[in-house]
Amino acid sequence: MTQITEEISSADPNLDPETWVDQYGDYLYRFALARIKDQAVAEDLVQETFLAALQGRKSFNGQSAVKTWLSAILKHKIVDYLRKKNREKAIDDIDTVTQTVEKFFHNNGSWKIPPSEWDDNPSKIYEQHEFMDTFFKCLSELPGRLSKVFMLREMEGLSNKEICNALQVSSTNSWVMLYRARAYLRRCLETFWFNNTKGSRKNNFTFLHLSFSPSLADTSLAKSSK
Amino acid sequence: MSHWMFNCKEVSRRVSESMDHRLPLYQRMLIRMHLLMCKYCTRFRRQLLLMREFSRSPQMAEDFLDPTVVLLPDARERIRQALKSSSA
Repeated sequence: MTQITEEISSADPNLDPETWVDQYGDYLYRFALARIKDQAVAEDLVQETFLAALQGRKSFNGQSAVKTWLSAILKHKIVDYLRKKNREKAIDDIDTVTQTVEKFFHNNGSWKIPPSEWDDNPSKIYEQHEFMDTFFKCLSELPGRLSKVFMLREMEGLSNKEICNALQVSSTNSWVMLYRARAYLRRCLETFWFNNTKGSRKNNFTFLHLSFSPSLADTSLAKSSK
Repeated sequence: MSHWMFNCKEVSRRVSESMDHRLPLYQRMLIRMHLLMCKYCTRFRRQLLLMREFSRSPQMAEDFLDPTVVLLPDARERIRQALKSSSA
């Protein structure tokens, strides 16, 4: 065992990197494979997760379980991977998201594309495997900083102060970023899950990044105003 | 809508903001008044809260995973070696 790993494991036996693969490897691999559906990529993401954890272990404050900490790193890796995979078509700047969110409203501030009723039983939504696929793909449609701020706040439950420190932004900026991320993600889920019939949901996954754009919002507007 | 009332765009922004910090009392009152009259903003708020709920749900991480799926021995060894050489 190296000096570094000895120091870590003496402080917390769960933070011994040499035991990570046996303790958490299978779990992380299952999670990655469920989202990515590619064995080789899932293995690579697990490896990247462990290496990132090794590099960032000093910042691990021990407040959450090691498994939770590693899962959080893996989720970021998955979203990064999906984004890179769709890079040519994905929205890659925050201005585009801002414009899209602006298009949800008329100039007088009333809804142009009002939220529709989500007819799934809310308590059952996340028990559906395909819904989680849509959720991760919608997350990957967001520019990197917006998906990161959403994941830090909503998935990992970091406080506003922690987010400001992590992303080096002001409180006001983080609230604005969170608003845009939530509004965009909400609309993406609505478009590709809640407004779709169950039979067509699966097919939509493949062209998610092509369809969810300001022009789609305009199309939806035409529908909703009828 | 009167100028002293929030419009839907402002309410949607502040509803999101209220999930991250406590808004001043007068803003909370204006939002509450607006929500009483506006089903779309009420829906927006409910859906943002639902997104938070399933984002933090343990089921998101656990329930769908097939316990029979495991890392293959080759992959396990490769990852172990990568960790070892990185921590050396």
